[in-house]
Amino acid sequence: MTTTYATGVTPRRVLRSEWHKLWTLRSTWIILATAAVSTLAVGLVMGGTYDGDDSEIDTVTFVLLGTQISQICVAVLAILVSAGEYSTGLIRATLTAVPRRTPVLWAKAAVFTTVALTVTAATNVLTFLAAQLLLADTDKALSLGDPGVLRAVLGNAAGITLLALIALGLGALVRSIPGGIGAFVALVLILPELLSAIPYDGLRDALDHFPAQAAGALGSATPLPDAVSPGPALLALVLWALAVLWPSAALLRRRDV
Amino acid sequence: MIRAHGLTKHYGGRTAKIAVDGLDFEVRPGTVTGFLGPNGAGKSTTMRMLLGLDAPTSGRATVGGRSYATHRAPLHEVGALLEARSVHPGRSAFHHLMGLAHTHGIPRSRVEQVLGLAGIREVAARRVKGFSLGMGQRLGIAAALLGDPATVILDEPVNGLDPEGVLWIRNLLKSLAAEGRTVLVSSHLMSEMALTAEHLVIIGRGRLLADTTVEEFVRSSGAAAVKVVTPDAAALAERLAAPGVRVTSETPGTLDVHGTDAEHIGRTAAAHGIPLFELTPHTGSLEQAFMDLTRDTVEYQATTLTGAAA
Repeated sequence: MTTTYATGVTPRRVLRSEWHKLWTLRSTWIILATAAVSTLAVGLVMGGTYDGDDSEIDTVTFVLLGTQISQICVAVLAILVSAGEYSTGLIRATLTAVPRRTPVLWAKAAVFTTVALTVTAATNVLTFLAAQLLLADTDKALSLGDPGVLRAVLGNAAGITLLALIALGLGALVRSIPGGIGAFVALVLILPELLSAIPYDGLRDALDHFPAQAAGALGSATPLPDAVSPGPALLALVLWALAVLWPSAALLRRRDV
Repeated sequence: MIRAHGLTKHYGGRTAKIAVDGLDFEVRPGTVTGFLGPNGAGKSTTMRMLLGLDAPTSGRATVGGRSYATHRAPLHEVGALLEARSVHPGRSAFHHLMGLAHTHGIPRSRVEQVLGLAGIREVAARRVKGFSLGMGQRLGIAAALLGDPATVILDEPVNGLDPEGVLWIRNLLKSLAAEGRTVLVSSHLMSEMALTAEHLVIIGRGRLLADTTVEEFVRSSGAAAVKVVTPDAAALAERLAAPGVRVTSETPGTLDVHGTDAEHIGRTAAAHGIPLFELTPHTGSLEQAFMDLTRDTVEYQATTLTGAAA
Protein backbone atom coordinates (compact mmCIF):
# COMPACT_ATOMS: atom_id res chain seq x y z
CA MET A 1 0.00 0.00 0.00
CA THR A 2 2.80 2.33 -0.88
CA THR A 3 1.25 3.79 -4.01
CA THR A 4 -2.25 5.02 -4.66
CA TYR A 5 -4.18 5.52 -7.86
CA ALA A 6 -6.95 7.31 -6.13
CA THR A 7 -8.94 8.70 -9.00
CA GLY A 8 -9.83 5.29 -10.34
CA VAL A 9 -11.69 4.30 -13.49
CA THR A 10 -12.78 7.06 -15.87
CA PRO A 11 -14.34 6.77 -19.35
CA ARG A 12 -11.17 8.25 -20.81
CA ARG A 13 -9.04 5.58 -19.16
CA VAL A 14 -11.33 2.79 -20.36
CA LEU A 15 -10.97 4.18 -23.90
CA ARG A 16 -7.21 4.22 -23.51
CA SER A 17 -7.26 0.61 -22.29
CA GLU A 18 -9.38 -0.56 -25.22
CA TRP A 19 -7.17 1.35 -27.66
CA HIS A 20 -4.12 -0.36 -26.17
CA LYS A 21 -5.76 -3.79 -26.28
CA LEU A 22 -6.79 -3.37 -29.93
CA TRP A 23 -3.31 -2.52 -31.17
CA THR A 24 -1.40 -5.09 -29.12
CA LEU A 25 -2.86 -8.06 -30.99
CA ARG A 26 -1.32 -9.22 -34.23
CA SER A 27 -4.73 -10.17 -35.60
CA THR A 28 -5.76 -6.49 -35.66
CA TRP A 29 -2.85 -5.53 -37.91
CA ILE A 30 -3.25 -8.57 -40.14
CA ILE A 31 -6.99 -8.06 -40.63
CA LEU A 32 -6.75 -4.33 -41.30
CA ALA A 33 -3.87 -4.87 -43.73
CA THR A 34 -5.81 -7.61 -45.52
CA ALA A 35 -8.85 -5.35 -45.77
CA ALA A 36 -6.82 -2.45 -47.19
CA VAL A 37 -4.79 -4.56 -49.59
CA SER A 38 -7.81 -6.43 -50.96
CA THR A 39 -9.70 -3.19 -51.65
CA LEU A 40 -6.68 -1.62 -53.34
CA ALA A 41 -5.76 -4.71 -55.35
CA VAL A 42 -9.29 -5.32 -56.64
CA GLY A 43 -9.58 -1.60 -57.45
CA LEU A 44 -6.39 -1.70 -59.51
CA VAL A 45 -7.50 -4.84 -61.34
CA MET A 46 -10.90 -3.30 -62.10
CA GLY A 47 -9.26 -0.10 -63.32
CA GLY A 48 -6.60 -1.88 -65.35
CA THR A 49 -8.91 -4.36 -67.07
CA TYR A 50 -11.88 -2.08 -67.81
CA ASP A 51 -13.00 -2.46 -71.42
CA GLY A 52 -16.35 -0.69 -71.42
CA ASP A 53 -18.44 -3.79 -70.62
CA ASP A 54 -19.62 -2.63 -67.20
CA SER A 55 -20.35 0.96 -68.14
CA GLU A 56 -23.78 0.85 -66.50
CA ILE A 57 -22.34 0.15 -63.03
CA ASP A 58 -21.78 3.15 -60.77
CA THR A 59 -18.11 4.10 -61.03
CA VAL A 60 -17.44 4.39 -57.30
CA THR A 61 -19.13 1.05 -56.66
CA PHE A 62 -17.08 -0.38 -59.55
CA VAL A 63 -13.61 0.70 -58.34
CA LEU A 64 -14.45 -0.17 -54.71
CA LEU A 65 -15.69 -3.68 -55.54
CA GLY A 66 -12.91 -5.07 -53.31
CA THR A 67 -14.70 -3.67 -50.29
CA GLN A 68 -16.96 -6.74 -50.53
CA ILE A 69 -13.93 -8.63 -49.19
CA SER A 70 -12.77 -5.96 -46.76
CA GLN A 71 -16.33 -5.74 -45.39
CA ILE A 72 -16.02 -9.31 -44.14
CA CYS A 73 -12.52 -8.66 -42.73
CA VAL A 74 -13.65 -5.59 -40.79
CA ALA A 75 -16.77 -7.36 -39.48
CA VAL A 76 -14.62 -10.28 -38.28
CA LEU A 77 -12.30 -7.83 -36.51
CA ALA A 78 -15.36 -6.30 -34.82
CA ILE A 79 -16.47 -9.73 -33.59
CA LEU A 80 -12.95 -10.49 -32.32
CA VAL A 81 -13.01 -7.21 -30.37
CA SER A 82 -16.22 -8.10 -28.53
CA ALA A 83 -16.67 -11.89 -28.56
CA GLY A 84 -12.91 -12.55 -28.52
CA GLU A 85 -12.74 -11.54 -24.87
CA TYR A 86 -15.22 -14.26 -23.98
CA SER A 87 -13.52 -17.05 -25.90
CA THR A 88 -10.19 -16.28 -24.21
CA GLY A 89 -11.62 -15.53 -20.76
CA LEU A 90 -10.05 -12.07 -20.82
CA ILE A 91 -13.50 -10.61 -20.18
CA ARG A 92 -13.23 -11.67 -16.53
CA ALA A 93 -10.07 -9.59 -16.09
CA THR A 94 -11.59 -6.71 -18.03
CA LEU A 95 -14.79 -6.64 -15.98
CA THR A 96 -12.86 -7.00 -12.74
CA ALA A 97 -11.03 -3.80 -13.69
CA VAL A 98 -14.21 -2.07 -14.88
CA PRO A 99 -17.01 -3.63 -12.82
CA ARG A 100 -19.58 -1.11 -14.07
CA ARG A 101 -19.22 -3.03 -17.32
CA THR A 102 -21.08 -0.90 -19.87
CA PRO A 103 -18.20 1.60 -20.29
CA VAL A 104 -16.21 -1.34 -21.69
CA LEU A 105 -18.71 -1.95 -24.50
CA TRP A 106 -19.06 1.74 -25.36
CA ALA A 107 -15.27 2.17 -25.34
CA LYS A 108 -14.84 -0.86 -27.60
CA ALA A 109 -17.46 0.52 -30.00
CA ALA A 110 -15.87 3.99 -30.01
CA VAL A 111 -12.31 2.76 -30.50
CA PHE A 112 -13.36 0.29 -33.16
CA THR A 113 -15.45 2.86 -35.04
CA THR A 114 -12.60 5.38 -35.07
CA VAL A 115 -10.06 2.86 -36.30
CA ALA A 116 -12.29 1.12 -38.85
CA LEU A 117 -13.62 4.38 -40.30
CA THR A 118 -10.14 5.90 -40.59
CA VAL A 119 -8.62 2.84 -42.23
CA THR A 120 -11.49 2.18 -44.65
CA ALA A 121 -11.88 5.86 -45.61
CA ALA A 122 -8.15 6.24 -46.30
CA THR A 123 -8.09 2.97 -48.24
CA ASN A 124 -11.11 3.97 -50.30
CA VAL A 125 -9.73 7.39 -51.23
CA LEU A 126 -6.37 5.85 -52.16
CA THR A 127 -8.01 3.06 -54.16
CA PHE A 128 -10.28 5.50 -56.00
CA LEU A 129 -7.36 7.76 -56.95
CA ALA A 130 -5.16 4.82 -58.00
CA ALA A 131 -7.92 3.24 -60.11
CA GLN A 132 -8.69 6.57 -61.72
CA LEU A 133 -5.10 6.80 -62.96
CA LEU A 134 -5.91 3.68 -65.00
CA LEU A 135 -9.38 4.85 -66.06
CA ALA A 136 -8.30 8.31 -67.24
CA ASP A 137 -9.33 7.88 -70.88
CA THR A 138 -12.52 5.88 -70.35
CA ASP A 139 -16.16 6.75 -69.68
CA LYS A 140 -15.43 5.94 -66.02
CA ALA A 141 -13.03 8.86 -65.59
CA LEU A 142 -14.16 10.78 -62.49
CA SER A 143 -12.54 12.98 -59.88
CA LEU A 144 -13.24 13.19 -56.16
CA GLY A 145 -14.68 16.65 -56.80
CA ASP A 146 -17.43 15.38 -59.13
CA PRO A 147 -20.98 15.36 -57.72
CA GLY A 148 -21.56 12.62 -55.19
CA VAL A 149 -18.16 10.99 -55.66
CA LEU A 150 -16.42 11.91 -52.40
CA ARG A 151 -19.69 11.29 -50.55
CA ALA A 152 -19.92 7.77 -52.04
CA VAL A 153 -16.22 6.97 -51.41
CA LEU A 154 -16.57 7.97 -47.74
CA GLY A 155 -20.12 6.62 -47.57
CA ASN A 156 -18.83 3.20 -48.53
CA ALA A 157 -16.35 3.41 -45.62
CA ALA A 158 -19.11 4.50 -43.25
CA GLY A 159 -21.27 1.61 -44.48
CA ILE A 160 -18.51 -0.93 -43.83
CA THR A 161 -17.84 0.51 -40.39
CA LEU A 162 -21.47 0.62 -39.31
CA LEU A 163 -22.17 -2.89 -40.59
CA ALA A 164 -19.14 -4.05 -38.60
CA LEU A 165 -20.42 -2.17 -35.56
CA ILE A 166 -23.58 -4.29 -35.82
CA ALA A 167 -21.26 -7.32 -35.89
CA LEU A 168 -19.51 -6.03 -32.75
CA GLY A 169 -22.85 -5.78 -30.98
CA LEU A 170 -23.86 -9.26 -32.13
CA GLY A 171 -20.51 -10.62 -30.89
CA ALA A 172 -21.15 -9.06 -27.47
CA LEU A 173 -24.67 -10.50 -27.49
CA VAL A 174 -23.80 -14.11 -28.34
CA ARG A 175 -20.36 -14.06 -26.63
CA SER A 176 -18.77 -16.48 -29.08
CA ILE A 177 -16.65 -15.82 -32.18
CA PRO A 178 -18.26 -18.45 -34.44
CA GLY A 179 -21.66 -17.55 -33.03
CA GLY A 180 -21.07 -13.88 -33.76
CA ILE A 181 -19.94 -14.54 -37.31
CA GLY A 182 -22.91 -16.86 -37.85
CA ALA A 183 -25.37 -14.31 -36.48
CA PHE A 184 -23.88 -11.58 -38.65
CA VAL A 185 -24.01 -13.63 -41.84
CA ALA A 186 -27.51 -14.93 -41.10
CA LEU A 187 -29.14 -11.68 -40.00
CA VAL A 188 -27.32 -9.11 -42.10
CA LEU A 189 -26.46 -10.98 -45.30
CA ILE A 190 -28.93 -13.87 -45.69
CA LEU A 191 -32.16 -12.77 -43.96
CA PRO A 192 -32.83 -9.85 -46.38
CA GLU A 193 -32.41 -12.21 -49.36
CA LEU A 194 -34.99 -14.58 -47.90
CA LEU A 195 -37.41 -11.77 -47.07
CA SER A 196 -37.08 -10.32 -50.57
CA ALA A 197 -38.68 -13.50 -51.90
CA ILE A 198 -41.94 -12.54 -50.18
CA PRO A 199 -44.07 -10.57 -52.68
CA TYR A 200 -45.31 -7.76 -50.47
CA ASP A 201 -44.61 -4.12 -51.31
CA GLY A 202 -44.45 -2.79 -47.75
CA LEU A 203 -41.77 -5.37 -47.03
CA ARG A 204 -39.78 -4.22 -50.07
CA ASP A 205 -39.61 -0.69 -48.70
CA ALA A 206 -38.52 -1.95 -45.33
CA LEU A 207 -35.87 -4.16 -46.93
CA ASP A 208 -34.28 -1.13 -48.59
CA HIS A 209 -33.55 0.11 -45.08
CA PHE A 210 -31.90 -3.15 -43.97
CA PRO A 211 -28.21 -2.81 -43.02
CA ALA A 212 -26.52 -4.32 -46.06
CA GLN A 213 -28.93 -2.63 -48.48
CA ALA A 214 -28.50 0.76 -46.78
CA ALA A 215 -24.71 0.34 -46.88
CA GLY A 216 -24.94 -0.37 -50.61
CA ALA A 217 -26.94 2.82 -51.17
CA LEU A 218 -24.34 4.81 -49.23
CA GLY A 219 -21.51 3.67 -51.49
CA SER A 220 -23.00 4.69 -54.83
CA ALA A 221 -22.30 8.08 -56.42
CA THR A 222 -25.36 7.80 -58.67
CA PRO A 223 -28.75 6.92 -57.14
CA LEU A 224 -29.42 3.19 -57.34
CA PRO A 225 -32.79 1.90 -58.50
CA ASP A 226 -34.95 0.74 -55.56
CA ALA A 227 -32.55 2.18 -53.01
CA VAL A 228 -32.97 4.83 -50.35
CA SER A 229 -31.05 8.06 -50.63
CA PRO A 230 -27.77 8.44 -48.72
CA GLY A 231 -29.11 10.49 -45.81
CA PRO A 232 -31.84 8.05 -44.73
CA ALA A 233 -29.48 5.15 -45.49
CA LEU A 234 -26.91 6.50 -43.02
CA LEU A 235 -29.58 7.15 -40.43
CA ALA A 236 -30.98 3.64 -40.88
CA LEU A 237 -27.52 2.10 -40.37
CA VAL A 238 -26.86 4.14 -37.24
CA LEU A 239 -30.21 3.05 -35.83
CA TRP A 240 -29.50 -0.60 -36.67
CA ALA A 241 -26.15 -0.39 -34.87
CA LEU A 242 -27.76 1.18 -31.80
CA ALA A 243 -30.58 -1.36 -31.92
CA VAL A 244 -28.00 -4.13 -31.49
CA LEU A 245 -25.55 -2.37 -29.16
CA TRP A 246 -28.13 -1.13 -26.71
CA PRO A 247 -29.55 -4.56 -25.74
CA SER A 248 -25.97 -5.87 -25.71
CA ALA A 249 -25.11 -3.26 -23.10
CA ALA A 250 -28.25 -4.03 -21.09
CA LEU A 251 -27.43 -7.75 -21.08
CA LEU A 252 -23.75 -7.13 -20.32
CA ARG A 253 -24.82 -5.38 -17.15
CA ARG A 254 -26.98 -8.32 -16.03
CA ARG A 255 -25.31 -11.52 -17.12
CA ASP A 256 -22.79 -13.58 -15.18
CA VAL A 257 -19.40 -13.98 -16.84
CA MET B 1 -12.12 -7.11 4.94
CA ILE B 2 -14.43 -9.43 3.05
CA ARG B 3 -17.98 -10.15 4.20
CA ALA B 4 -20.58 -12.58 2.88
CA HIS B 5 -24.13 -12.27 4.17
CA GLY B 6 -26.47 -15.12 3.26
CA LEU B 7 -24.67 -15.40 -0.04
CA THR B 8 -26.61 -17.75 -2.33
CA LYS B 9 -26.25 -18.74 -5.98
CA HIS B 10 -28.55 -20.98 -7.99
CA TYR B 11 -27.84 -21.89 -11.56
CA GLY B 12 -30.36 -22.72 -14.22
CA GLY B 13 -33.85 -21.59 -13.33
CA ARG B 14 -36.40 -23.60 -11.41
CA THR B 15 -34.78 -27.02 -11.29
CA ALA B 16 -31.73 -25.16 -10.14
CA LYS B 17 -28.41 -26.49 -9.07
CA ILE B 18 -27.55 -24.75 -5.84
CA ALA B 19 -23.90 -23.75 -6.10
CA VAL B 20 -23.72 -21.60 -2.98
CA ASP B 21 -26.28 -21.83 -0.22
CA GLY B 22 -26.60 -19.08 2.39
CA LEU B 23 -22.92 -18.47 3.12
CA ASP B 24 -22.04 -16.18 6.01
CA PHE B 25 -18.40 -15.49 6.74
CA GLU B 26 -15.86 -12.76 7.31
CA VAL B 27 -12.28 -12.57 6.17
CA ARG B 28 -10.19 -10.20 8.28
CA PRO B 29 -7.11 -8.25 7.31
CA GLY B 30 -3.67 -9.17 8.55
CA THR B 31 -3.89 -12.94 8.23
CA VAL B 32 -3.94 -15.44 5.40
CA THR B 33 -7.35 -17.10 5.23
CA GLY B 34 -7.58 -20.42 3.48
CA PHE B 35 -10.77 -21.12 1.55
CA LEU B 36 -11.25 -24.88 1.41
CA GLY B 37 -13.77 -27.28 0.05
CA PRO B 38 -13.99 -30.33 -2.19
CA ASN B 39 -14.34 -29.88 -5.95
CA GLY B 40 -17.73 -28.41 -6.74
CA ALA B 41 -18.20 -27.03 -3.23
CA GLY B 42 -18.77 -23.52 -4.58
CA LYS B 43 -15.37 -21.90 -3.90
CA SER B 44 -14.90 -20.42 -7.35
CA THR B 45 -18.53 -19.30 -7.57
CA THR B 46 -18.19 -17.55 -4.22
CA MET B 47 -15.04 -15.81 -5.39
CA ARG B 48 -16.73 -14.70 -8.60
CA MET B 49 -19.59 -13.25 -6.56
CA LEU B 50 -17.10 -11.36 -4.35
CA LEU B 51 -15.76 -9.78 -7.55
CA GLY B 52 -19.15 -8.96 -8.99
CA LEU B 53 -18.64 -11.31 -11.95
CA ASP B 54 -21.59 -13.47 -10.89
CA ALA B 55 -24.65 -11.87 -9.34
CA PRO B 56 -25.87 -13.63 -6.17
CA THR B 57 -29.37 -15.13 -6.35
CA SER B 58 -29.80 -13.71 -2.87
CA GLY B 59 -27.59 -12.35 -0.14
CA ARG B 60 -24.74 -9.93 -0.42
CA ALA B 61 -20.97 -9.83 -0.61
CA THR B 62 -18.88 -6.82 0.32
CA VAL B 63 -15.20 -6.09 0.01
CA GLY B 64 -13.76 -3.17 1.94
CA GLY B 65 -17.24 -2.33 3.21
CA ARG B 66 -19.09 -2.08 -0.10
CA SER B 67 -20.04 -4.28 -2.99
CA TYR B 68 -17.16 -4.67 -5.41
CA ALA B 69 -18.80 -2.95 -8.39
CA THR B 70 -19.34 0.29 -6.49
CA HIS B 71 -15.64 0.93 -5.86
CA ARG B 72 -14.22 3.81 -7.88
CA ALA B 73 -10.82 2.18 -8.20
CA PRO B 74 -11.57 -1.55 -7.86
CA LEU B 75 -8.05 -2.74 -8.76
CA HIS B 76 -6.72 -0.66 -5.89
CA GLU B 77 -9.25 -2.28 -3.58
CA VAL B 78 -9.08 -5.94 -4.64
CA GLY B 79 -6.58 -7.92 -6.69
CA ALA B 80 -7.79 -11.28 -7.90
CA LEU B 81 -6.48 -14.39 -9.55
CA LEU B 82 -9.30 -16.53 -10.89
CA GLU B 83 -9.08 -20.24 -11.48
CA ALA B 84 -9.79 -20.03 -15.19
CA ARG B 85 -7.28 -18.17 -17.30
CA SER B 86 -8.35 -14.63 -18.06
CA VAL B 87 -5.73 -13.61 -20.59
CA HIS B 88 -5.75 -13.26 -24.38
CA PRO B 89 -3.10 -15.76 -25.57
CA GLY B 90 -2.10 -13.54 -28.48
CA ARG B 91 -1.05 -10.60 -26.31
CA SER B 92 2.29 -10.32 -24.51
CA ALA B 93 2.40 -10.41 -20.73
CA PHE B 94 3.48 -6.77 -20.62
CA HIS B 95 0.69 -5.56 -22.88
CA HIS B 96 -1.89 -7.66 -21.02
CA LEU B 97 -0.96 -5.90 -17.79
CA MET B 98 -0.65 -2.51 -19.47
CA GLY B 99 -4.17 -2.87 -20.91
CA LEU B 100 -5.53 -3.45 -17.40
CA ALA B 101 -3.31 -0.71 -15.93
CA HIS B 102 -4.70 1.93 -18.32
CA THR B 103 -8.20 1.53 -16.85
CA HIS B 104 -6.91 2.94 -13.56
CA GLY B 105 -4.17 5.22 -14.84
CA ILE B 106 -1.59 2.92 -13.30
CA PRO B 107 1.85 3.87 -14.66
CA ARG B 108 4.14 1.70 -16.75
CA SER B 109 6.66 1.65 -13.89
CA ARG B 110 4.17 -0.26 -11.71
CA VAL B 111 3.58 -2.79 -14.50
CA GLU B 112 7.33 -3.39 -14.69
CA GLN B 113 7.46 -3.65 -10.91
CA VAL B 114 4.83 -6.41 -10.71
CA LEU B 115 6.45 -8.26 -13.62
CA GLY B 116 9.63 -8.30 -11.55
CA LEU B 117 7.77 -9.25 -8.39
CA ALA B 118 6.20 -12.22 -10.16
CA GLY B 119 9.54 -13.22 -11.67
CA ILE B 120 8.40 -12.98 -15.29
CA ARG B 121 10.24 -9.84 -16.42
CA GLU B 122 12.37 -11.86 -18.87
CA VAL B 123 9.34 -13.26 -20.69
CA ALA B 124 7.24 -10.08 -20.49
CA ALA B 125 7.57 -9.38 -24.21
CA ARG B 126 6.53 -12.90 -25.20
CA ARG B 127 3.00 -13.78 -26.16
CA VAL B 128 1.11 -15.59 -23.42
CA LYS B 129 0.31 -18.39 -25.89
CA GLY B 130 3.75 -19.93 -25.21
CA PHE B 131 3.55 -19.71 -21.43
CA SER B 132 3.69 -22.78 -19.22
CA LEU B 133 0.98 -23.27 -16.61
CA GLY B 134 3.32 -21.90 -13.95
CA MET B 135 4.23 -18.80 -15.97
CA GLY B 136 0.53 -18.21 -16.61
CA GLN B 137 -0.11 -18.38 -12.84
CA ARG B 138 2.69 -15.89 -12.22
CA LEU B 139 1.18 -13.53 -14.79
CA GLY B 140 -2.20 -13.88 -13.06
CA ILE B 141 -0.60 -13.03 -9.74
CA ALA B 142 1.19 -10.04 -11.29
CA ALA B 143 -2.22 -8.84 -12.52
CA ALA B 144 -3.70 -9.34 -9.04
CA LEU B 145 -0.99 -7.18 -7.47
CA LEU B 146 -1.12 -4.50 -10.18
CA GLY B 147 -3.25 -2.01 -8.26
CA ASP B 148 -1.43 -2.55 -4.95
CA PRO B 149 -4.75 -3.79 -3.53
CA ALA B 150 -5.88 -3.82 0.09
CA THR B 151 -7.50 -7.23 -0.46
CA VAL B 152 -6.07 -10.15 -2.42
CA ILE B 153 -8.28 -13.03 -3.61
CA LEU B 154 -6.45 -15.95 -5.18
CA ASP B 155 -8.15 -19.08 -6.53
CA GLU B 156 -5.76 -22.04 -6.51
CA PRO B 157 -2.60 -19.92 -6.88
CA VAL B 158 -0.12 -22.79 -6.58
CA ASN B 159 -1.67 -24.71 -9.48
CA GLY B 160 1.08 -25.64 -11.90
CA LEU B 161 3.88 -24.00 -9.93
CA ASP B 162 7.17 -25.76 -9.31
CA PRO B 163 8.44 -26.19 -5.72
CA GLU B 164 10.30 -22.91 -5.93
CA GLY B 165 7.12 -21.21 -7.11
CA VAL B 166 5.09 -22.79 -4.32
CA LEU B 167 7.57 -21.46 -1.76
CA TRP B 168 7.43 -18.04 -3.41
CA ILE B 169 3.61 -17.95 -3.17
CA ARG B 170 3.74 -19.04 0.46
CA ASN B 171 6.12 -16.22 1.38
CA LEU B 172 4.29 -13.72 -0.79
CA LEU B 173 0.94 -14.44 0.87
CA LYS B 174 2.44 -14.19 4.34
CA SER B 175 4.13 -10.90 3.55
CA LEU B 176 0.94 -9.47 2.00
CA ALA B 177 -0.93 -10.37 5.18
CA ALA B 178 1.87 -8.98 7.35
CA GLU B 179 1.46 -5.66 5.54
CA GLY B 180 -2.10 -5.58 6.85
CA ARG B 181 -3.88 -6.76 3.73
CA THR B 182 -6.81 -9.14 3.61
CA VAL B 183 -5.75 -12.37 1.91
CA LEU B 184 -8.21 -15.08 0.83
CA VAL B 185 -6.69 -18.12 -0.86
CA SER B 186 -8.45 -21.20 -2.10
CA SER B 187 -6.61 -24.44 -2.51
CA HIS B 188 -7.20 -28.14 -2.52
CA LEU B 189 -3.64 -28.80 -1.34
CA MET B 190 -4.20 -29.20 2.40
CA SER B 191 -0.53 -29.59 3.23
CA GLU B 192 0.11 -26.27 1.52
CA MET B 193 -2.73 -24.58 3.38
CA ALA B 194 -1.42 -25.90 6.68
CA LEU B 195 1.86 -24.09 6.00
CA THR B 196 0.35 -20.85 4.71
CA ALA B 197 -3.00 -20.11 6.27
CA GLU B 198 -3.80 -19.15 9.84
CA HIS B 199 -7.54 -18.97 9.42
CA LEU B 200 -9.87 -21.29 7.53
CA VAL B 201 -13.23 -20.97 5.85
CA ILE B 202 -14.40 -24.43 4.79
CA ILE B 203 -17.42 -25.07 2.62
CA GLY B 204 -19.07 -28.18 1.23
CA ARG B 205 -21.98 -28.32 -1.21
CA GLY B 206 -22.20 -24.56 -1.01
CA ARG B 207 -22.67 -24.43 2.77
CA LEU B 208 -20.34 -23.20 5.46
CA LEU B 209 -18.79 -26.17 7.33
CA ALA B 210 -16.24 -24.35 9.44
CA ASP B 211 -14.92 -20.86 10.07
CA THR B 212 -12.03 -21.26 12.46
CA THR B 213 -8.25 -21.17 12.90
CA VAL B 214 -6.09 -23.92 11.44
CA GLU B 215 -4.86 -24.92 14.89
CA GLU B 216 -8.32 -25.13 16.42
CA PHE B 217 -9.69 -26.98 13.42
CA VAL B 218 -7.07 -29.72 13.51
CA ARG B 219 -7.30 -30.06 17.28
CA SER B 220 -11.08 -30.32 17.40
CA SER B 221 -11.42 -32.60 14.44
CA GLY B 222 -10.36 -35.73 16.28
CA ALA B 223 -7.99 -36.66 13.51
CA ALA B 224 -5.29 -37.51 16.04
CA ALA B 225 -4.52 -41.23 16.13
CA VAL B 226 -2.05 -43.70 17.54
CA LYS B 227 -0.37 -46.17 15.24
CA VAL B 228 0.11 -49.61 16.80
CA VAL B 229 2.05 -52.50 15.29
CA THR B 230 1.34 -55.84 16.94
CA PRO B 231 1.26 -59.51 15.88
CA ASP B 232 -2.05 -59.85 17.74
CA ALA B 233 -3.98 -56.99 16.20
CA ALA B 234 -7.42 -58.56 16.39
CA ALA B 235 -7.12 -59.28 20.11
CA LEU B 236 -5.86 -55.79 20.91
CA ALA B 237 -8.62 -54.17 18.88
CA GLU B 238 -11.15 -56.17 20.84
CA ARG B 239 -9.65 -55.14 24.20
CA LEU B 240 -9.55 -51.47 23.21
CA ALA B 241 -13.17 -51.36 22.13
CA ALA B 242 -14.99 -48.70 24.12
CA PRO B 243 -17.41 -45.84 23.44
CA GLY B 244 -15.58 -43.06 21.54
CA VAL B 245 -12.72 -45.29 20.51
CA ARG B 246 -12.38 -46.15 16.85
CA VAL B 247 -9.90 -48.73 15.58
CA THR B 248 -9.07 -49.05 11.92
CA SER B 249 -6.56 -51.18 10.11
CA GLU B 250 -5.15 -50.67 6.67
CA THR B 251 -2.43 -53.31 6.70
CA PRO B 252 -2.48 -56.56 8.69
CA GLY B 253 -0.75 -56.21 12.01
CA THR B 254 -1.11 -52.43 12.08
CA LEU B 255 -3.87 -50.54 13.85
CA ASP B 256 -4.80 -46.87 13.84
CA VAL B 257 -6.52 -46.08 17.09
CA HIS B 258 -8.58 -42.92 17.44
CA GLY B 259 -10.11 -41.59 20.61
CA THR B 260 -7.60 -42.76 23.18
CA ASP B 261 -3.93 -42.18 23.93
CA ALA B 262 -0.71 -44.18 23.71
CA GLU B 263 -0.49 -44.70 27.46
CA HIS B 264 -3.89 -46.35 27.64
CA ILE B 265 -3.09 -48.56 24.65
CA GLY B 266 0.27 -49.58 26.13
CA ARG B 267 -1.24 -50.44 29.49
CA THR B 268 -4.11 -52.38 27.91
CA ALA B 269 -1.67 -54.39 25.81
CA ALA B 270 0.55 -55.12 28.82
CA ALA B 271 -2.43 -56.16 30.95
CA HIS B 272 -3.42 -58.73 28.35
CA GLY B 273 0.06 -59.85 27.45
CA ILE B 274 -0.13 -58.58 23.88
CA PRO B 275 3.32 -57.71 22.51
CA LEU B 276 3.73 -54.31 20.81
CA PHE B 277 6.38 -53.66 18.15
CA GLU B 278 5.48 -50.02 17.65
CA LEU B 279 3.36 -47.44 19.42
CA THR B 280 3.39 -44.03 17.74
CA PRO B 281 1.07 -41.10 18.48
CA HIS B 282 0.23 -38.92 15.44
CA THR B 283 -1.17 -35.47 15.77
CA GLY B 284 -3.88 -34.95 13.21
CA SER B 285 -3.08 -33.43 9.85
CA LEU B 286 -5.15 -30.72 8.27
CA GLU B 287 -5.65 -33.08 5.37
CA GLN B 288 -7.20 -35.76 7.55
CA ALA B 289 -9.32 -33.25 9.44
CA PHE B 290 -10.56 -31.86 6.15
CA MET B 291 -11.38 -35.29 4.77
CA ASP B 292 -13.31 -36.17 7.90
CA LEU B 293 -15.27 -32.94 7.79
CA THR B 294 -16.14 -33.03 4.12
CA ARG B 295 -16.62 -36.77 3.67
CA ASP B 296 -20.38 -36.43 3.34
CA THR B 297 -20.29 -33.40 1.09
CA VAL B 298 -17.91 -34.60 -1.58
CA GLU B 299 -19.64 -34.21 -4.90
CA TYR B 300 -17.39 -36.25 -7.12
CA GLN B 301 -16.22 -39.35 -5.32
CA ALA B 302 -14.17 -42.12 -6.84
CA THR B 303 -15.53 -45.59 -6.20
CA THR B 304 -13.09 -48.30 -5.32
CA LEU B 305 -12.75 -51.07 -7.88
CA THR B 306 -13.65 -54.26 -6.10
CA GLY B 307 -13.10 -57.79 -7.29
CA ALA B 308 -10.44 -56.72 -9.75
CA ALA B 309 -7.92 -59.12 -8.28
CA ALA B 310 -10.34 -61.99 -7.92
